[in-house]
Amino acid sequence: MLNTQKKFSPDFLSGSCAINLNTIKLVAVLCISISLQSCASYGSHAVTMREGLLHGDPKASLAVAELKDSDQEEVVASLDKGMLRRMNDDYIGSNQILEVAKQEIENLHGFSITENLASVAINETLRGYEGDHYEQLLLHAYMALNYIELGQIDGGRVEMLQANVKMMEWGDEPEEDAFLRYLEGMIYENMGEIDSALISYRKAYIIYKEKGGKQYPIAPDAIKKDLLRLLAWNGLWSEYKTYKKEFKFNDYKPAKASNKYGELIVLLNNGLAPIRGEKAIHIFSSEVESNLRVAFPVYDHPKQSLFLPRVSVNNKQYAMDKVEDIDDLARYSLAQDMPGIMVRATARAVVKYNTQQTASDQGSLAGLLMTVTNIVTERADTRSWTTLPQEIRLQRILLPVGEHQIKVQMVNVAGRVVDEINETVVIKPKQSSFVVKHWNTPVPKNIPLAQAK
Amino acid sequence: MKLQALKSTLLVSLFSSLFLLTACNPTVTRVDSDSVTDLSGKWNDTDSRLVAEEMIQDVLSRGWLSKFNRAKGKAPTVIVGTVRNLSHEHINTRTFIADMERELINSGEVEFVASAKDREEIRSEVKDQDLNATEASRKSMGNEIGADFMLQGSINTIVDAVSGEQARFYQIDLTLIELGTNRKVWVGQKKIKKTVEKGGFRL
Repeated sequence: MLNTQKKFSPDFLSGSCAINLNTIKLVAVLCISISLQSCASYGSHAVTMREGLLHGDPKASLAVAELKDSDQEEVVASLDKGMLRRMNDDYIGSNQILEVAKQEIENLHGFSITENLASVAINETLRGYEGDHYEQLLLHAYMALNYIELGQIDGGRVEMLQANVKMMEWGDEPEEDAFLRYLEGMIYENMGEIDSALISYRKAYIIYKEKGGKQYPIAPDAIKKDLLRLLAWNGLWSEYKTYKKEFKFNDYKPAKASNKYGELIVLLNNGLAPIRGEKAIHIFSSEVESNLRVAFPVYDHPKQSLFLPRVSVNNKQYAMDKVEDIDDLARYSLAQDMPGIMVRATARAVVKYNTQQTASDQGSLAGLLMTVTNIVTERADTRSWTTLPQEIRLQRILLPVGEHQIKVQMVNVAGRVVDEINETVVIKPKQSSFVVKHWNTPVPKNIPLAQAK
Repeated sequence: MKLQALKSTLLVSLFSSLFLLTACNPTVTRVDSDSVTDLSGKWNDTDSRLVAEEMIQDVLSRGWLSKFNRAKGKAPTVIVGTVRNLSHEHINTRTFIADMERELINSGEVEFVASAKDREEIRSEVKDQDLNATEASRKSMGNEIGADFMLQGSINTIVDAVSGEQARFYQIDLTLIELGTNRKVWVGQKKIKKTVEKGGFRL
């Protein structure tokens, strides 16, 4: 494509039309399309990047991610690096790059005149990508999990407060995230702030209750138990009774804090978030009375079915509750954005149509070049945080103080264990020990052996 | 039609010129370390300095110091404990604590002992001297000075925000607690309030 443009340009410039506005315009468009050659669609990059994860080799994925955006200016590239670094157990590095992403999101605050004009004239990928609201909140959640992993729960608390400020800025009825509120509660509880923890659990439960089945999973039993327990601990008995009735938890008795017990919190990041694809359709514009081609992002694959994780400890198995469904969130978020995307796409198609028509008036070659340029530059914005998991699952278990061997087992439909993650956990009195894992695919354990042969 | 074409021409030329703009070299200006540089509205060096100034002035002018001197006939020994960050920002509390330590030591009225973490390193050095240093220069274990007071504290924040505007309130509390009796002998407090407005437009 690049070569074709270069070959034709001199002929065109030396042709009959002298240098006028249209010539300048054409050169300008060529400049842009050349500069756009480097911006291959994010979607295809994501596919390459996730290849490693799907083969049990997160290092390979990280290597692909690290090659991108060496200036650390693109939010989405930093988010991917952050997630992959934590998958490779580099929690300090992960937080360092996620902090960069956070700063870039901050810098993208406000209406950009140039970017919005560019999105109408060329394509959506020229708009700064600040991440959807759910992605911005999960950024704080994963930074908090990194701090927890580093033994700095205070740092995790800071992240939760920052997410709070963000939600505050989004308006009176902010788009709260159920998992973020739940995690916030767990952090507060671990710091002994049981009143704040209660407020977080209550908020989390209300989000699950109101939006469960759409963006969020149906309220899991885990949050119900935690809400009841904290209501009891705070002595709010009338609210406790109301909720107990609502949950139909007739036999439930809140656990009492004891020096002999501590808590195991297992979080599993299961699968991978969906990738946006591109779709182009022709729409009829009454303004120019013609069919125009527009490109927009779609989720072109249905939701993946995943293995069910469970926690196995002391010969007992515990199923894990789904606390966040990022697949649902992503699809919901795109559906919400769609009207805006289509309005901009239509406006863009009209602008492009007009440039084509003007170029055609100057000669067939100019018209052809313009048409080709417009088709090439009409790309959908496929950016999203694709290294996020498809879902997050949770289990909280009270265990006697001391060392425990735990297993996170992945179970298929037939009930067979497909893969397991082993971990040794030290349970401390009245404290929670977090085990946070990522799982994408059964690690082919025989491969290194085969290579050795 | 003609007008529309002209408009789109202008648009496209505008973008091409924007694309051609390249990054400029960074400009560096040296400024006095006491000057106020508020960039993002987040906790910065100025806040740290204000806290240190207030706390130092307060801790040296209060009665606990002279009382201790009268009672014990020596300068009190202080150890720095944890300053918990319960704010919404990742704040480095070491800067103003270090400022405080310096001022207090230099005043000659207060002595400091190394914190628990620092002591580990020093002890391992002393242990090493036991094996490797000459007898004349060798330091022996068990000569450490026990602290009389511990400095603890917390940073709390309250943030109110609407789209593009924030009011940030920081409260820094430091407490000197007498070891053994758990008596609080001094409580220092500094409050800082800022409003931050973000621009509605960018290039």
